[in-house]
Amino acid sequence: MMAAAWLAREDRDLTPAEAVALQQWLAASTLNRVAYLRLKASWQRADRLSALKNPISSAAEPSDFLADFLAGLLARPRLIAAIAASLLLLAAGAGGWRLWRGPSEQVFATAVGKMQAVRLADGSRMELNTNTRVRTDVTAARRIVTLDSGEAYFDVVHDAARPFVVYAGNRRITDLGTKFSVFRNGDDVRVTVQEGRVKVDVLDRPAVNAPVVAEAGHTVMAKGSETLVFSKPDTDIDNGLAWRSGMLVFNQQTLADAAEQFNRYNSRKIIVEGKARRIRIGGSFKADNVEVFVLLLHRGFGLSVDNQGTRIVVSR
Amino acid sequence: MAERSIDDWFMQDVLPLEPMLTRFLQRNWRNEAEISDLRQEAYARVYEAASRALPLQTKPFLFQTARNLMIDRLRKQNVVSLETMAEFDWLNVSDDKPSSEAHVAARQELRLLQAALDDLPPRCRQIVVLRKVEGLSQKEVARKMGVAVDTVENQVAKGMRLLAQAMSGRRGAVTSEAKRYNFFRKPRHVR
Repeated sequence: MMAAAWLAREDRDLTPAEAVALQQWLAASTLNRVAYLRLKASWQRADRLSALKNPISSAAEPSDFLADFLAGLLARPRLIAAIAASLLLLAAGAGGWRLWRGPSEQVFATAVGKMQAVRLADGSRMELNTNTRVRTDVTAARRIVTLDSGEAYFDVVHDAARPFVVYAGNRRITDLGTKFSVFRNGDDVRVTVQEGRVKVDVLDRPAVNAPVVAEAGHTVMAKGSETLVFSKPDTDIDNGLAWRSGMLVFNQQTLADAAEQFNRYNSRKIIVEGKARRIRIGGSFKADNVEVFVLLLHRGFGLSVDNQGTRIVVSR
Repeated sequence: MAERSIDDWFMQDVLPLEPMLTRFLQRNWRNEAEISDLRQEAYARVYEAASRALPLQTKPFLFQTARNLMIDRLRKQNVVSLETMAEFDWLNVSDDKPSSEAHVAARQELRLLQAALDDLPPRCRQIVVLRKVEGLSQKEVARKMGVAVDTVENQVAKGMRLLAQAMSGRRGAVTSEAKRYNFFRKPRHVR
C-alpha cells in the first residue's frame, strides 16, 4: 500500500522534503524497498503501453492477423463450430481437453492426476479435480453445470436473475452467492461451502425432502434421499479444498481413508491391509507423489511396503 | 565488477522471475492468501543477502531462499513433520525455462500489459491510459479530466498496484488473448 503511494507521489513530483522522507522510508526496512522496487519495475514496464498510441501500426502484423482471425472464429461458434472445436482441442493443452457440443453446451474433463481451471462465460470460475467430467451450459438466460463424475470447485459470480445451478446425481445445488465444491461418486454427493450459502435439494422426491440451505463452513453429505449437514472448522474446510493446489492434507484421518484419497489421483493404487488401515496420520502431501508417501509410511510407522507395479500393498 | 547497483540487479534479474516464483510458491504453499506476503519476504531476504555479495546465479539463489522461507514458516507453525518437506518439488526448479519466462518477447509483453490494463476499473484505466499511453503528466491528466491532481495520484497508485499484481501471475499470451478480445462477452441482445 505504502509503496504504491510513494511511487505515485514520485510519478507526480517530489518536493525536496518528500524526497528525503522517501529515502528514509526506503532505508527503514528492506520490505519497503523491495515493494517499492517491484512496483517501480512494473510501472516502468508499463511505458511500453505507449506503443498502443498508434493502433494502425500494430494491426497489420501477421501474428495479430492470426489472433484476429481466431477471435473472429471464436465469436461465431454457430457458424464454424466444427473448426472452432478442433482449434480448441488443439489449444486446450496438457491440462485436460474440451469439446464443443453445440452453441452453448461444453464438456470439460480431466484425466487421473490432472486438474483444470476454467473461466466460464459469466465470469464464474470452475476448477476440476482429478478424473472429473463436467458439462456446462452457460448463456445469457441460464447457468447450468452438470457434474457427471469427480469433483469441482466453483467461485460463482452471483446473479439472482440467473441462478447458478449444479446438478450432481439426484441433487441440485443452487448458488446463493458463494464459493463451494461438489464431489460426486455415483449417488454419493458431497458439497463443501467455503463462502456464502448454497441450497441443496433432491430432484426425484421434492415433495418428501425439503431443500437444505448450507452456509460457509458446512459440508452437506447426500446419498439416495438422505441428506446430512454438518459444520466443520475452517481448517478442515481448507484442507478439503487443498486439492486445488495439488495437495492432500490429512488431519488424523485413517490410513485407509488417506489411501483412498491418493488413489483418486493416481493409476497406481495403494492398498492398505489389516490393522494398518486404522492408523491415523496427519500432514500434507503432493497428490501425485505416491512414492514419498509410502516411503514415509515405511520410515515413520515401520510398515512394510510391497511395490507390485500397478499396486502398492502396505501392511504391518 | 561490482558496478551494478543492487537495485539494478534486483529489478533486472530478480523481478522478471516473479511469475515463476509465484507459481513455485503456489505449488508448495496451500494458503493462497499468504503467497504475496511470502514473495515479499523472499525478495527482502535476497536483497539483504545481495547487499553483502551479489549471488553468482540469481535464479537458484532466489528459489533456494523461497524454499528456506517456507521451511522456516512451517517449523514455526509446527504443522508438518520435517520429512513431509521432502514433498516440495523444489528439486524441479531447473525445469522451468528461464529463457521463455524472463525474457518475454516485446510483442507478448505488450499483450500482457494490455490485458492487465483492460482489467483495471474504468476510471483507473482511463487515468493510466492518459498517463502511460498518451504520456501526459499527472497534472495534465488532472486538467484534461477536470479532477484534482490528488485524485489522479491516488488512481495512479491503485493502477500501479493492480498492474503489478496482474503481471505477477501471467504466464503467456494465450490467456490474455482471450481477455483482450473479450471472448467471453455476453451475447448481444437480440429482439
